[in-house]
Amino acid sequence: MSKMDDRMSQAGSGKKTPYRLRIVALLILVACLALFPFVVTNRFYISLVNEMLIYGLLAMSLDVLLGYTGLLSFMHNAYLGIGAYVVGLFLIHISPSSLWLAILAGVAATSIIALPVGWVQVRTGGLAFALLTLAFGMMFYTIVWKWYDLTGGDDGLMGVPHPDIHLGGIVLGHSGSPTAMYLLTLSMVLICFLVTWRIMHSPFGAVLEAIRENEERASFVGINVRRYKLYGWMYACMLASVSGGLFILYRGYIGPTTMSAFAGAGVLMMVLVGGMGSLWGPIIGAGIFIFIQDYISTMTEHWELFVGMVVILLVLFMPRGFVGLGDYVTRFRKE
Amino acid sequence: MTTILRTKGLHKHFGGVLAVNDVDAEFKANRLRSIIGPNGAGKTTFVNVITGKLPASSGTVLFEDRDITNRPPHRLVRLGICRTFQITSIFMGLTVYENVRIAAQSEMGGSFRIFSAKQSLKSVNKKTWEILDRLGLTDKAGVPSNNLAHGDQRLLEVAMALAGDPKILFLDEPTAGMSPAETEHIARLIKGLTDTVAVVLIEHDMDVVMSISDEITVLNQGSIIAEGPPREIQENELVKEAYLGHA
Repeated sequence: MSKMDDRMSQAGSGKKTPYRLRIVALLILVACLALFPFVVTNRFYISLVNEMLIYGLLAMSLDVLLGYTGLLSFMHNAYLGIGAYVVGLFLIHISPSSLWLAILAGVAATSIIALPVGWVQVRTGGLAFALLTLAFGMMFYTIVWKWYDLTGGDDGLMGVPHPDIHLGGIVLGHSGSPTAMYLLTLSMVLICFLVTWRIMHSPFGAVLEAIRENEERASFVGINVRRYKLYGWMYACMLASVSGGLFILYRGYIGPTTMSAFAGAGVLMMVLVGGMGSLWGPIIGAGIFIFIQDYISTMTEHWELFVGMVVILLVLFMPRGFVGLGDYVTRFRKE
Repeated sequence: MTTILRTKGLHKHFGGVLAVNDVDAEFKANRLRSIIGPNGAGKTTFVNVITGKLPASSGTVLFEDRDITNRPPHRLVRLGICRTFQITSIFMGLTVYENVRIAAQSEMGGSFRIFSAKQSLKSVNKKTWEILDRLGLTDKAGVPSNNLAHGDQRLLEVAMALAGDPKILFLDEPTAGMSPAETEHIARLIKGLTDTVAVVLIEHDMDVVMSISDEITVLNQGSIIAEGPPREIQENELVKEAYLGHA
């Protein structure tokens, strides 16, 4: 190791868990999740974890915007919705068996819609940016709700076919089978996580972080801030549309409420509960959020009330979210 | 001596207030020019217009005889026009090293690499360490910049501006809030920068200005009222009047 590299590693944040340990932890976690549907064969639990993973992916994509680029989106679920509707419509009207083509179409169509929206969005920052996401989100919600002939309006998009799931040459079953769908979701979320982690720690990711920290300084070190904000935005929307594709395959149905502002706030809470700026935090956050939602809704239909209280407590006492817990533990052990 | 940057008939007004009024100025390579003047004289506004933070109302800015008026800051940085701010502007949540590294990266390229680690850009790392060494920040490379002392934050901002490989460097009150010892250190450092770049210094500390400037431009109410080497400016009646008011 040269002197330079040596100094490099000193300059990095040295308190983090060793690299190898983190990879081992990830492998164990993935192995457990992969074995889960074979150990717990109850299809309701499989579906529950499946939903956690799908929303985990959506929350992670919002983290790219919020935690890395510093842009607040109130309705990132809009892009899950657009992706889901496109994938559903593709399967219904064009090709009922082409799973990967449908997901590709979902990502492509979402990108085409997200590009002009992003072009407007990145001309703003801070509160104006956040309000614009709300405005565009409401617009998409209304379009989906009112365009009955295409989207099924209030009734939602029904009768989405279940294509076969090919994974590495093996047919796992069709998307209506909980285990096959679960394995598809798990692999997609894992791939998206690894790719996104790589990108966020690349020179490109460093530019996004610089923009998050100080937009003005970023432009005065030579960064074209608007352009990079647009790249970040596009990537976040594309990831969200992947989660949308998984969502429609898993549910076989989507209605406009999935794209409502209320649901958008839920996604934001997942990110905050999990802890932003870590990518894995929001996935945990989505797990916690959906677990609470599922658990409490068996007892009372007013589950939102309790989720709200949990979020208030978390924001007050764990401002950095679940991710911040690690710091508490380290500090505690030192004292 | 070559002129790097000049302004011709530069104006900037905010509503009815004329902050920069018909300013013709010239900045030469390897020279240190200070801009002084009483509060509200338009010094910072003048620099803001040149560096693209504010649009000019009229007039032109020429960089190496090219018209660069009203270009966005990131383009100007690429040309070699870098600056620091009166109020420290750094990436607070990032380490000292990363602050300078990102500045070097955006100058040297590589920002669009998405699949390699950010620490893998060798020439960027090399340059980052060089600059940190030059400003005496090497020992603090791993410190989050929000934990730095004020004086070191000011230095860090200079380091970031240098990472942009400037041909002309604008420093807006770099010694603001510094102790006398720190002020002396940074003054010597600024003087040393003129080996490679043209330096434009906005400064209130007259000891600093008089001891390190090659030339001084005095602004008052948006207009240049005097220009020349330090000794001439000290003797200038108009300048004394501007600072002390009418007797």
